[in-house]
Amino acid sequence: MKADSGMYAGRITTLRVTPNLPPRGCFVKWLKSRFPLDVMRPALLLLAVAGLGNQPAIAQGFTPSRPIEFVVHTGPGGGNDLLARAIAKIVEQEKLLPVRMQVANKPGGGGITAMAYMNEKKGETHTVALFANTWFNGPLMSKEARVTMNELTPIVRLVTEPGVVAVKADSPYKSLKDFIEDAKKRPGALKQSGGSIGSRDNIVRSLLMKNTGANWAFISFPGGGERLAALLGGHVQVMFMDPQEAGDRLRDGTLRLLAQVTDKRIAAYPDLPTIKESGYDIPNYVTLRGVVGPPEMPADVLRYWESFFAKLVKTESWKKYLKENFFEDGFMTTAEVQKFSKAYPAEVREMLKAAGITVYR
Amino acid sequence: MEIFSGLLQGFSVALTPANILWCFVGCFLGTIVGILPGLGPPATIAMLLPLTFLMNPTSAVIMLAGIYYGAKYGGSTTSILLNVPGESASVVTCLDGYQMARNGRGGAALGIAAISSFVAGTFGVVMLMLVAPPLAKFALRFSSPEYFALMCMGLAMVVLLAGKSIVKAFLAMLVGLWMASMGTDLFSAQSRFTFGQFELLDGIAFVIVAIGVFALGEVMGNMETREGVPMLPVPKGLRNLLPNMQELKACRFAFVNGSVVGFFIGILPGAGSTIASFISYGIEKAVSKHPERFGTGVPEGVAAPEGANNAETGGALVPMLTLGIPGSGTTAILLAAFVLWGLKPGPLMIQENPELFWGLVASMYIGNVILLIMNIPMIPLFAQILKLPLYILYPIIFGISIVGVYSVSTSLFDVWLLTILGLLGYAMRKLDYPQAPLILGMVLGDAMERALRQSLMMSQGDMSILVSRPLSAGILVVTAVILIVPLFKRMNALREKAIES
Repeated sequence: MKADSGMYAGRITTLRVTPNLPPRGCFVKWLKSRFPLDVMRPALLLLAVAGLGNQPAIAQGFTPSRPIEFVVHTGPGGGNDLLARAIAKIVEQEKLLPVRMQVANKPGGGGITAMAYMNEKKGETHTVALFANTWFNGPLMSKEARVTMNELTPIVRLVTEPGVVAVKADSPYKSLKDFIEDAKKRPGALKQSGGSIGSRDNIVRSLLMKNTGANWAFISFPGGGERLAALLGGHVQVMFMDPQEAGDRLRDGTLRLLAQVTDKRIAAYPDLPTIKESGYDIPNYVTLRGVVGPPEMPADVLRYWESFFAKLVKTESWKKYLKENFFEDGFMTTAEVQKFSKAYPAEVREMLKAAGITVYR
Repeated sequence: MEIFSGLLQGFSVALTPANILWCFVGCFLGTIVGILPGLGPPATIAMLLPLTFLMNPTSAVIMLAGIYYGAKYGGSTTSILLNVPGESASVVTCLDGYQMARNGRGGAALGIAAISSFVAGTFGVVMLMLVAPPLAKFALRFSSPEYFALMCMGLAMVVLLAGKSIVKAFLAMLVGLWMASMGTDLFSAQSRFTFGQFELLDGIAFVIVAIGVFALGEVMGNMETREGVPMLPVPKGLRNLLPNMQELKACRFAFVNGSVVGFFIGILPGAGSTIASFISYGIEKAVSKHPERFGTGVPEGVAAPEGANNAETGGALVPMLTLGIPGSGTTAILLAAFVLWGLKPGPLMIQENPELFWGLVASMYIGNVILLIMNIPMIPLFAQILKLPLYILYPIIFGISIVGVYSVSTSLFDVWLLTILGLLGYAMRKLDYPQAPLILGMVLGDAMERALRQSLMMSQGDMSILVSRPLSAGILVVTAVILIVPLFKRMNALREKAIES
């Protein structure tokens, strides 16, 4: 068992000083006598959940007084859901908040349901959400959407995510150029597996096709597993994926990477050329994630959350998390991210149009 | 020999007191999650994920996997007792399970579900242990054309699920297919049949349709007979609550069928346990000597889908553990958990973490035994629910249904949708339309359309891709047989009649 004695000790203290709870303390003692400690540690945590954290993080005008609702637009296990849960875990470990942070899943419509939910929370101070690219391009692509990022209050940007272009290890393509030249020779014969048509996979493909005159098919699969299975089974020739998905498959020799979809080479892949370095001058489509609040967030509350997340990204646990998951630090302050989110939709609109996607606003 | 020593190592990991405890915790939570409609294993695992960071990965995966297969055991309970499918894979269990309960064999149905789950669950683990790597490679040969053929085969089951009128069954299926097409189209990002409601952008959740059409439709239909429906018979005595020898004997083939079908469909990343349960039910009915009695409460109609749905777990773990490819929502979040624990999914994972793989396999043997022991004594307890007077039971079913649906999305829109679908289920009942084909169309429609369009994109519009690949051609031939055999039977019957006269 991984020991985390500091945290454990903290929990016990919390339990003991919490008034009106002597039976819990007794229960803990009884448990300790009955069961080996490491076995029971997580169970104890569950019991102690009520007494988490005991010092306020930042002394300012606003301090949270009840659990924070942390809204994500994916179901459990989706990209933003995992990031939100990791943040909640770090916040708990580092005691950054006087209250708990609860992840609330509002899946549907590629972010549109979650955005509508945030819009209803006008002026609410204890609800924040994790945004991703789809919060910008979802409303552009959907007739039904009623809320855009302009109505909400962007707080900070947290991370950007690189992408990689992968082929099967026994593929004849050794570089992105090999693939594109072959695609030029046999228009439409080569295939790429990916997600929805508005995903980075397809946008980068469209930009590449426009730049080179090559043509290959984009086949949508809803699940990451199916995409990967199509590539490994040889049913498609190329896939754009997260470095994390590629993971160990480079070491065991099932995949080969051709390029990285980044502005400049990231630390994890010092030898892998970027798309631009491969000879294709296309704008880089960045996958980004950050935090947004409901409309009309009071100024002191906004400042509180900005400094809270600024503090979060300085912790060692956060840096470790970024490294393990191949995220890049893309932190932006409130002023920066608000400026960014005003300008960004226009940029995305052009890319979506270039990718041949109908844009509604 | 390698397997033997691996298994020995696995049991030495899984039989430590701590890991037995975690296995039990997982199975217990899984059973509860399975019983509650709406709340599914993915959400439960996501909620418990932060807790597992303090455990060692092997214990954690033992517990989380316990939730996964434990939920499959629990899912049948409300299907059988209340006609409320606890999980999407338990919809088929409603067909005969609920009828068994109405005939006073509710306890027996629960018992058969538990035994079948145990047999098939164990079969799934044995297969996972023996043949995982080669099978995973085989599963990769399946792509969109093969999935399309498989979905066709599933849809052909409508012939077998049809009641008196095959036309009505087809109409119900078409409504199901239409409902499946609602929402945002994956390929063009266009919305279809959303009626301007953003809540419909992701389509209608399957669980809402299943609960609305089955549970609410049934309750409303029963409430109509005002002269007080006699209370459901619950036999006295423990012996009468458990399945008898005759019933178990009838299920012999169903145990095998459910295990094999469930496992092999499970290893395909694009299929899923709901399809597995439908197909094994269809096969069971197709080979049965008394197909006309299906839907009136035959034990093998419970054993086959319940088995398939449990064997699917072992199958779904094959591509996940050997290749790092998740085939379902639950395996995707398990895989995400692996990454968060610092394990790197892929072919090297088993080689580099043997104690994790073998520990998990061994714990699944133990977990299946725990679940069997846990579920059998609960049967008499659950069977008592049927003794409740109907004026109490029906509001409870309504309550469970609404809470279950609301808990999935916390959206009142879905509750309204449930109401509408409940009325639809009631209307179908009144007009004698079978409900199962609607559910079948709803389950398969989305995946089938996707597979067809993916195939055609792969072949640049050439339809021959669907029949030129040996695997898909083979499945399509089986499909044709399923469709034609009932016709032959009918022809034969007509001929016999002609000869007689």
